[in-house]
Amino acid sequence: MIIMKCYVCAKEGKESDAVAVCVACGMGTCMKHTIRKEVDVWEGGYPLPSRKLPKKMPRMLCPDCNAAYGDGT
Amino acid sequence: MATLTSRSIAEGVGTALLVYFGAGAAAITLMIANGTKPATPFNIGIGQLGGLGDWFAIGITFGIVIAAVIYALGRVSGAHINPAVTIALWATKRFPSGDAIAYIIAQLAGAAVGSLLFFLTVGMDAVTIGGLGATAPFPGIGYGQAILVEAIATFVLMLVIMGVAVDTRAPQGFAGLIIGLTVAGMITMAGNISGASLNTARTFGPYLMDFLLGGSNLWSFFPIYVIGPVIGAVLAALFYDRITAE
Repeated sequence: MIIMKCYVCAKEGKESDAVAVCVACGMGTCMKHTIRKEVDVWEGGYPLPSRKLPKKMPRMLCPDCNAAYGDGT
Repeated sequence: MATLTSRSIAEGVGTALLVYFGAGAAAITLMIANGTKPATPFNIGIGQLGGLGDWFAIGITFGIVIAAVIYALGRVSGAHINPAVTIALWATKRFPSGDAIAYIIAQLAGAAVGSLLFFLTVGMDAVTIGGLGATAPFPGIGYGQAILVEAIATFVLMLVIMGVAVDTRAPQGFAGLIIGLTVAGMITMAGNISGASLNTARTFGPYLMDFLLGGSNLWSFFPIYVIGPVIGAVLAALFYDRITAE
């Protein structure tokens, strides 16, 4: 069985299994390098008002894409 | 969901824009044609210089504003900007009664504000010559005929709203454009019959401001623009639900 490895760890000369895939670039990331964002989910729209659903949707990002989106460090 | 207050404000602003630009375009057309001799008894000024093109210009102005309001405020309030649409959605149990009452009050108030702003922009000629773009049956058109054309045109409008927006199977993103173009087409054809209101609020604003500012008193025609649009919209919503029932 082939297990995807964390790209960031690999660049640092380490090896760790990936637990997520970045939604933007597809990079595999371990738990340490995965940034989970909670995204609002909206339902409806014209001709009825949009309604924010009670639960949020997760969005997994790698550190590079998170920084590129402007809300990373 | 935004609060009912925010949504009502959005409805008011949207309807004010509709009346300011749409009814304003009708008033401006009358002012441009002022002084020309009508070619036929069926003409009161609109159509005098550009034929049906005058009505198309008015219709497309309405259409563009409607599309803009739907895209800008559709997610906030639903951008009904028309009591007939609100009543049709309420009648088919898609919209709660309390919200519907607040929306209709906001639409009527917004229409009055839009008409007042148009008067403040243009001056007294907007009232005495342009009539603030108020709707009324044209020469030779009876009360019942005006109700009928308003009902038919609003039926088409609501049918399109049901098909391109309410129905979840409709392609996303086209509602504003298609609904705006539909209104433009309805006004181009029906404008010289009943004024092609399709919207009780659109008629209410100019009627109220004409009355308050010393212009024409057209209130005797107001039931046309309540009965026709409401019947047309409710029938369209019920019809769509009936034909799409599985």
